Amino acid sequence: MSSATQSSVNRLKSNDAGRNMISDYWDRIFTANERNAQVVWYNGAALNPIFQAAGLEWAHGEAFSARLSAQKLEKSAQLAAQEYGYVGELCSYARTHLGAALLAKQAREKFDKGIVDNADRDDMASRLPMPNFIVNCYAGCSTGQQWDDFTHRLLGKDIPIFNVSLPFLWGNRTDAGYLQGQEWEEASDYVADQLYKLIDFIEEQTGRPFDWEALREGMSYIKQAAEIRREAMAMCANMPAPTTFWDWIASVAHINFLPAGPELVEYFSKIREEVAQRIANGESAIKDEKYRLYFDGIMNWNKLGTLAKLFAERKVAVVAGRYTHKPFWQEPQLIDTDDPIRGMAQHYLLCPTNHGFQTIKNFTKNDCEFYGIDGIVFHSTRTCRAFTGPQQMLARAMKEEIGIPSIFFEGDVADESFYKGELLESRLEAMLEAIDVRRSRNFIASN
Amino acid sequence: MIRSSAEAFQVMRNVAQNPDDYLTKWKARHQQPVIGIFPMNFPVEIIAATGALPVIIQDSREPISEGNTILAEFYCGYTRSIADQTMKGQLDVFDAFMNADHCIQLLGAVDVVREMLSDKPVYFEHLIAAMDDSWTKEQVQKKVHAFIAEAERITGTSISDEALTSCIQSNNRNRQLLRQIFEARRNGDAQFSPAELQTMIVSSMIMDKDEHTALLETVLAEAASKPRDNRIRLHLSGHFCHAPRVELFDLLEECGAVIVDDDLYTGSRYISTDVKESLAPRAALADWYFDRNENIPCPTRVQKTVNWDEYLINALNKSGAEGVIVMMAKFCEAHMFYYPELRKALEAQNIPHLLIETEHEGIPVETLRTRVEATIERIRRKSPTRQTTQESA
Repeated sequence: MSSATQSSVNRLKSNDAGRNMISDYWDRIFTANERNAQVVWYNGAALNPIFQAAGLEWAHGEAFSARLSAQKLEKSAQLAAQEYGYVGELCSYARTHLGAALLAKQAREKFDKGIVDNADRDDMASRLPMPNFIVNCYAGCSTGQQWDDFTHRLLGKDIPIFNVSLPFLWGNRTDAGYLQGQEWEEASDYVADQLYKLIDFIEEQTGRPFDWEALREGMSYIKQAAEIRREAMAMCANMPAPTTFWDWIASVAHINFLPAGPELVEYFSKIREEVAQRIANGESAIKDEKYRLYFDGIMNWNKLGTLAKLFAERKVAVVAGRYTHKPFWQEPQLIDTDDPIRGMAQHYLLCPTNHGFQTIKNFTKNDCEFYGIDGIVFHSTRTCRAFTGPQQMLARAMKEEIGIPSIFFEGDVADESFYKGELLESRLEAMLEAIDVRRSRNFIASN
Repeated sequence: MIRSSAEAFQVMRNVAQNPDDYLTKWKARHQQPVIGIFPMNFPVEIIAATGALPVIIQDSREPISEGNTILAEFYCGYTRSIADQTMKGQLDVFDAFMNADHCIQLLGAVDVVREMLSDKPVYFEHLIAAMDDSWTKEQVQKKVHAFIAEAERITGTSISDEALTSCIQSNNRNRQLLRQIFEARRNGDAQFSPAELQTMIVSSMIMDKDEHTALLETVLAEAASKPRDNRIRLHLSGHFCHAPRVELFDLLEECGAVIVDDDLYTGSRYISTDVKESLAPRAALADWYFDRNENIPCPTRVQKTVNWDEYLINALNKSGAEGVIVMMAKFCEAHMFYYPELRKALEAQNIPHLLIETEHEGIPVETLRTRVEATIERIRRKSPTRQTTQESA
């Protein structure tokens, strides 16, 4: 029988340095208009190495919504969106970002008239710099392309917008699968071709030739960082786990949109060192690890600390998850640093919501087996229909094929009104008891 | 042998209300497969050209039960109904399924179909939704060819240009007749109720087109124009992928309104565009995809040069509608994105509107009645030629 005890979260120390990297990045974004820097707004795929090589400042829509929510500063943007007419069931990433766009536009209009409004300066949701252009490159979810289209409309339709269309990897043919088959190869070529066209578009917008050498250099740092990150993640198959899903959540920003450079490689190197040291020392990410769970669902950014504590208190190491382990340059071997575009295109296609069910089932099953998982926690993410689509089939399949139980809890990416904490606690405790019972039975049977 | 308009209409009603009976009989009669099509952009002529029957799968009125065990409850009613019908074996009549639309909720439901009916082909090609890009047309043409190849594979019948042309003509004829009826309504003819129009559209989505056209011709042969009365004129807008409940139409009429136009999927949107018969058929089917979005912009597509809000204002000017009922299927993300643009455009023109979110189960009739009555009263107060309820009393 599990019972709640004092918090026993042992956070990865090397993540502390990463917080400053994130703050520095956003400070640079917030001052971009004042510095007359060219700004691109984008959503979805990690196009930032291209923007960085082009000398742009890049503001990622989901990342901004996540940051607002993680800091509990999302309400003013969500209220603005609601007043504008967006229904509360709309993707809360999009809703928060569109609200922030409305507030930022209003702040910019006041600024242009010489009105200095302290309220705008103090409200982070108002501080996005106006974009010079918008780029959309969104895999998996149809909402992504529509979101940027409405940002474009909301800002007055004068700002240029470029769409990279990422086909859904449905798997029509028998040879289809993760990183394989004709569909995969054709989609890779198709997206790569669009990325070259995107670079032509960026050259038009900036009025200068694209710096290919800078892209190659940036991608070599990303490839190194991604390799190190994957190695460190793989070390978490160790029992007890040296880090948890929540530690990997804290480094999502770095791998997903922070500038590519030696500091990125250094940051992940330190994480890997700390993970290795913990294993050598027998130090675990949570005190007295008893259960190992997998997290399926997009992050509930309002509840990061709450969730980390809630699981740790029950001796649960949430070891891995679809959101942390299946996107974000997770196949670095695909990146040819001399000619990086096709490998980048492939990563953009590899969003963990951009696959048919069979592929998602197979990689989830592999991860559950690799990390020695006892059960799955499904975050039934209210306004994210992309992550939630296959969840119930996935729960059935994991139970049937590898005997892993699961629970669902309700929450959301950026709207905390959907979070049902009590349900999570009671369901989690019930599942842990079931795991205990199963272990006892197995023990008796084996003796 | 159908002899009268009433009989013809009853056939359409029976098909719309109980597609399975029709499909089972059709299969027995023709010994050809029935292919389930997911809305809203698949060119059904491709399937018809193989001799198979393409059927746009409808939402079931049955309350969702088993579907909720396989798909999240915050998916739209249509997609949850698809999951529910799958789990209950109600889609077993179909021999294969085809989809061209990348809506994430729809794909979730189609993946349920693929997993649960794993012995049947479930084919998806993603018709690119960004309509402006220089490469979109070529991509759409490739997808049309891919659909043709798959239709040939699953039916074992090769598709000739002649067969495609013939099916395009049949579908165009059917759309033209339906448009004629909708145009008459726009011009003041009230002989068909909104529920009857929905029956005509839904049965067209299910039936063999020549058969359906024959029924429409019978209905139209006996049709007599009936001038519209002086109730408040409304336009119904939205409601993608599936039909709104006809009880909502009744409610609007009970509150003193008459529906004069719509851009519903199970309405004007479905019949808006013919496939060009002047072009080679394969190229024409690709063009149809673009033409539809020009004729009635769809929020599931992104195209800088077309605006649904502008379309709506123009449609109101043509029909003389005095207000708009925006019917939004709950959880429809594309519609949720576009609604504020519609709201702004309507408010800029001082046109009253009401947003009604529809659910799969249950219609809160009395709550809606109050809101509809308030909207209608607003329209009355705006118009100097109309009496308010208070004045009438």
